[in-house]
Amino acid sequence: MKGKPRFLPAMLAAMLAASVALPAAAADLVIAMPNWPSGQATANILKVGIAKKFGLDAEVKELGTLNAFVGFETGTVDIQPEVWRPNFEDVVRKYVTEKGVGKLTERSVPAWQGLCATPEAAKTIKTVADLSDPEKTKILDTDGDGKGEMWIGAQTWLSTGIERARAAGYGYGESLTLFEAEEEVAMAAVDAAVATERPMVFYCYAPHHVFELHQIARLEEPPHDAAKWKILPPSDPLWVSKSSASTAWEAAHFQIAYASAFGKKHPDVAKFLEKVDFSPEEVTKMSYALEVERQAPADYARKWAEDNAARIDGWAKP
Amino acid sequence: MTNGPDTSSADRSKSRARRLGIGFLAAVLCLGPLAALAQTQIYDARTKKWVDYDKKKARQYFARTNQVPEAFRRQVVPFRTAEKPGTIIIDGNQHFLYLVQPGGQAVRYGIGVGREGFGWAGIVRVGRTAEWPTWTPPAEMVARDPNAAKWAAGMPGGPDNPLGARALYLYEGDQDTIYRIHGTVEPWTIGLDVSSGCIRMNNDDIVDLHSRVEIGAKVIVLMQGAALYKGV
Repeated sequence: MKGKPRFLPAMLAAMLAASVALPAAAADLVIAMPNWPSGQATANILKVGIAKKFGLDAEVKELGTLNAFVGFETGTVDIQPEVWRPNFEDVVRKYVTEKGVGKLTERSVPAWQGLCATPEAAKTIKTVADLSDPEKTKILDTDGDGKGEMWIGAQTWLSTGIERARAAGYGYGESLTLFEAEEEVAMAAVDAAVATERPMVFYCYAPHHVFELHQIARLEEPPHDAAKWKILPPSDPLWVSKSSASTAWEAAHFQIAYASAFGKKHPDVAKFLEKVDFSPEEVTKMSYALEVERQAPADYARKWAEDNAARIDGWAKP
Repeated sequence: MTNGPDTSSADRSKSRARRLGIGFLAAVLCLGPLAALAQTQIYDARTKKWVDYDKKKARQYFARTNQVPEAFRRQVVPFRTAEKPGTIIIDGNQHFLYLVQPGGQAVRYGIGVGREGFGWAGIVRVGRTAEWPTWTPPAEMVARDPNAAKWAAGMPGGPDNPLGARALYLYEGDQDTIYRIHGTVEPWTIGLDVSSGCIRMNNDDIVDLHSRVEIGAKVIVLMQGAALYKGV
C-alpha cells in the first residue's frame, strides 16, 4: 500500500540514516514523531493527553517508523503514533510478532487509495469503467490531441507502477495519456483545475488534505479481488509491464504502536492508547490544519485537546 | 510486498538531467519566430461558453481595445491550495500564472507560452531576477536573421528588447534551467501558444509580479497542456 507517499521518501531516508542517538531525556517517555502532518499532530495530541490524564511528561522526537521500532527494543522510544500497514509489515513482523518488543493497538484508521475526479470531471466520469470510454475522457484533454490526460503518481512511487498496471488491466491505458510528476505538481494542478472549473481525474489516497481543500469525488470501481490483482515484485525490472490489475486497491490502515516494556510499566497509558479512536475525517483535518493552514503541531494539539477534552477523558477511563 | 514509493535517487537525477536537456533546447528556441496555434480557449462570461482564441482574434481584439481579453488581465481570484503565499503556479494550458496569496486567493496573470507549453512539469525556484534584462539571441537566430545578428553580443534592455521590462530566472537547485518568465514587446500574444518555451507576460504584469516575488520563491509548472510529457 502506498501509505504516506508524499512523505515516505523522507521517512525511508530517516530509516536508512544511522540510528539516532537519543539524548538522556528528563522526560517520562518518548513519542516518535513521523514527518507527515497527521502523524505529527497525533504524536502531539498523545503528548498533551498523556500529560493531562497521567501527569507524565512526554518528549516528542522526530523519528522514522523503523527507528521507532528499534527504539522499542533499546528502550529509547515508547510510542509511535501512526504505523502504516501493510507498508511496514516486515517491521511489524520482526519487532512485534517475532521479538515481541512492540505492540500495536487493536483499533486502526482505515486508509484508501484509488482514482479521484474534480467536480467538473465527476459530472461525466463516475466510475473507472467510464475511463475506457474515449467520448467521456476527451474532456480531460489539455494538450489538444483529443485524448485525455491523467496523473497516476510520482515517478519514484511504487504505487505509480501499480497504477500503470491497473490502467492496463482495466483497459483505460488505451484511451488516456498517463502522466507521472511530483505530488505537489499534481496537487497544484488540482487547485488550478478547481479554480477554473476544469475537469481533472487523478490518482489519490486518503486520509489526505485534498479532500478538505476541494470537493473531490472518488471513482467507483469493483472491490479488491486478489485473483484479479497480479502485481509482480518490483525486483523484476519489467514488473510494471508484466503486471495487471482490474479491481480496487486492497484497503490499508494505520495503528498506534508502543513498546511492550512501556505497556508493562504504564498499563493505564497502554489502555488509553488502545482507546484512541481517530476517524479518517479527523486525520484528514489534522493533515489540513498542518499542511494547508500551517499550524504548528504542538499548537494544533493543544487546541485539539481543549476542544476535545471529553474525548480524551473517555480514552483515559479505566 | 511493500508498495508505496521508493526513493531511487538514480531515477530522480535521470529525470532532472532530462528536464534540463529539454530546457536547454527550449531556451535556444525561446524567442524564435512566432507561429501561434489556435488551441487557446477563453471563457465568454456573456454567453457562458468557452470560445476559441487564436492569433487573428488576439490581434483584432488588441487593435480594438489596446488590451488583452478580460480573462488574461491581472486579477485576484479565489484559489484554494496547500501551497504557501508567494508560490508561483504556471498553468500553460489555460495561459494563467498564479501568485498564491493568503486567505485562499491568488493574483492571476495572463501568459503567453511556447507552442509546446513549457517543455516539462516540475518544481523550480526563482533563482534571480533582472530589470530591463539584456537579451542575447541564440546562435541559430543570429545566423538566419540579420536583425538578430546585430545584437549577437547582447541587446541592452529597453522597450524594444524581446525580454521586456523584467525577467525571473528559474533555477533548479543552484543551476539555471535557462527558463525565464519575462515581459514582452508583443502584448497581444498573451493567451497564445507562440514560439517555444519561456513564459511571457505583459510588461505591466511582469513588473507587478517582479515587485511581489521573492528570490527563492517556489515555482510549480503544471502538467496541463502537456503533449510534451509524452514519454516521460
